[in-house]
Amino acid sequence: MIALALALAGLAACGEGSRPPELLPADTWHAFEGSWNASGTRHTLRLGSQHRASVIDVSGSMLLTGDSRLGIGFRAEVIGFSDDQHGLVGRAVWTDERGDQVFSELKGEKVVTGNRITGTITGGTGRYDGVAGEYGFQWQYVLEAEEGTIQGRAIGLKGRVRRGGKQP
Amino acid sequence: MSASPASLSLLLRRIAVFALVLAIWFAPTPAGLTGPAWHLFAVFAGAIVSVLLGAFPLLTASVLAVAAVVLTGTLEMSKAFSGFANPSVLLVVVAFLVAQAVVKSGLGRRISLLIVSAFGGSPLGLAYSVVLTDAVIAPAFPSNTARGGVLFPVVLSLAQSAGSRPDDAEKRRLGGYLMFCGMASLAISSALWLTATSVNPIGTQIAAQFGVEIGFGRWLIAASVPTLAAMLLLPLVVRRLFPPGVSETPDAPRAARAELASMGSMSRDEIVTAAAFAVMVTGWILAGQLGLSVTAVAFGGLGVLLATSVLTLDDISKQGDTLTTFLWLAVLFALSGQLNELGFMGYVGERLASRLEKLSWPAVYVALLVLYVLLHYLFVSQTSQVLALLAVFLTVGVKQGVPAPLLCFALLFASSYFSVITPQGGSQNIIFVASGYLTQRELYRLGLLTTAFFLTVFLLLGTPWLLFVTR
Repeated sequence: MIALALALAGLAACGEGSRPPELLPADTWHAFEGSWNASGTRHTLRLGSQHRASVIDVSGSMLLTGDSRLGIGFRAEVIGFSDDQHGLVGRAVWTDERGDQVFSELKGEKVVTGNRITGTITGGTGRYDGVAGEYGFQWQYVLEAEEGTIQGRAIGLKGRVRRGGKQP
Repeated sequence: MSASPASLSLLLRRIAVFALVLAIWFAPTPAGLTGPAWHLFAVFAGAIVSVLLGAFPLLTASVLAVAAVVLTGTLEMSKAFSGFANPSVLLVVVAFLVAQAVVKSGLGRRISLLIVSAFGGSPLGLAYSVVLTDAVIAPAFPSNTARGGVLFPVVLSLAQSAGSRPDDAEKRRLGGYLMFCGMASLAISSALWLTATSVNPIGTQIAAQFGVEIGFGRWLIAASVPTLAAMLLLPLVVRRLFPPGVSETPDAPRAARAELASMGSMSRDEIVTAAAFAVMVTGWILAGQLGLSVTAVAFGGLGVLLATSVLTLDDISKQGDTLTTFLWLAVLFALSGQLNELGFMGYVGERLASRLEKLSWPAVYVALLVLYVLLHYLFVSQTSQVLALLAVFLTVGVKQGVPAPLLCFALLFASSYFSVITPQGGSQNIIFVASGYLTQRELYRLGLLTTAFFLTVFLLLGTPWLLFVTR
């Protein structure tokens, strides 16, 4: 049975075999949707009783859907600074199975359940070289499991990206 | 010089494990995963399979695995070794050491004689007393590892009082039976009460995102029928799966009462141990309200037992099994956690769940529940699985028409009872595992069959009951 569980995990991982082209086609918008499961750490500094600032460092699996998506998914890493009064500023790196990366800048409300974040894609490497675009998502939940450790799930992830051209 | 068939078989099994690891490692990284996540899965799968095949003991497999992932640059050293400073892992180790004081002081024997005098007519009676005790104290213990720390010394004393020793091939069976009943009891009692494990309140927060609000009373009503049925049958099922070697001991209660009388009043060490335990239990119960670390409370108790010489440094130095357990648990805890952090768990869960889209909702419900339980083979922490997969499975199921309250409760209860599926499936198991009464292969076999039993009860009895109470 454990062999079945491991095989299921392996099959789930390997199931979709088709590989995306070497370079993202130029000047075509690629719309994508998806979800992101993230876990990591949050260090919080209290500035009085009503004001908190946090540094977050989270990463996890981002899975995309849509006919013109960038790929099946990425490992998405984010570092950010979140403040009760001024919201979130962050940077994200998405890495695919070949090690090619997409870079983006994040801003939005503080990192708690229900809050919305927007991102601006600023570039990439490999097949994502020269990409630009935008996206947004909402935290379905952000929970603290142990002190300083958080896990969240972002849903409603929607965006578009293209290689070449200017920022949207 | 020719190799014996046994050593040749061992060699072949080891070669098979290395071949498996290399095959996964060098297979193309699946789209959507990164190299480190895929390579870590290769090593983790190899470690678990090697134990199942008997190629390596768990300790050997674990230390080889952690060395491999650090030396190949798959994981940073700090992340690979992070389990050694994890509070849950440390709590297991300290609780095991504290349990030795209960046995050594004679307090455990006194408690076990009391239990035997009331329930000791058969191993079944003893097992029911363990399950009942656990079920009654469970709502007060938000940490089921701490609860294991309370239950284990009692079970150990019961086994030892009956002459059961891990190194006696036949007599160990009674101890093994009681140990596994204790482990499985912790799993099922955690499903009965919302407050019996820290996993449950976290899960209810996720359920709330799907419009299912769950409080203490609603949880208890929903859990009552399937959980109590599972508890009632558990000692019988485990007895069938792992016969304890003795069936009836009609004279045991009388002998226990006579021996209790001959023990006289409590000794100094018993009183110190009882007092230290009472303070620890109070600290564990009130940890949430007082903001205490349950691990620090256990360390405090151990310190008192050492300072009062109930336990000596010599006693600690004899606990080689504890070191073994600490090493493999810390490694597996870290590797499983990193599989989650590198996105592998969420990826697999989401990919598997999304493939059920063309099924009817009852089929989706059953498939999601079975998959959710099976995937616990990859997790060393119940909390990690709830955080990584509960929302994913709920999203897919609710989208396919499974009633949200039904699926929420079914997955939340599974998040407790699946902990017994592997010896490392919940940190509370490890204290019992470290006693040495059961082999790793027995633990995996019993874990699988007992989890299948729980799953069957919750599917056949729990589903109609949940549909009735959540209508």
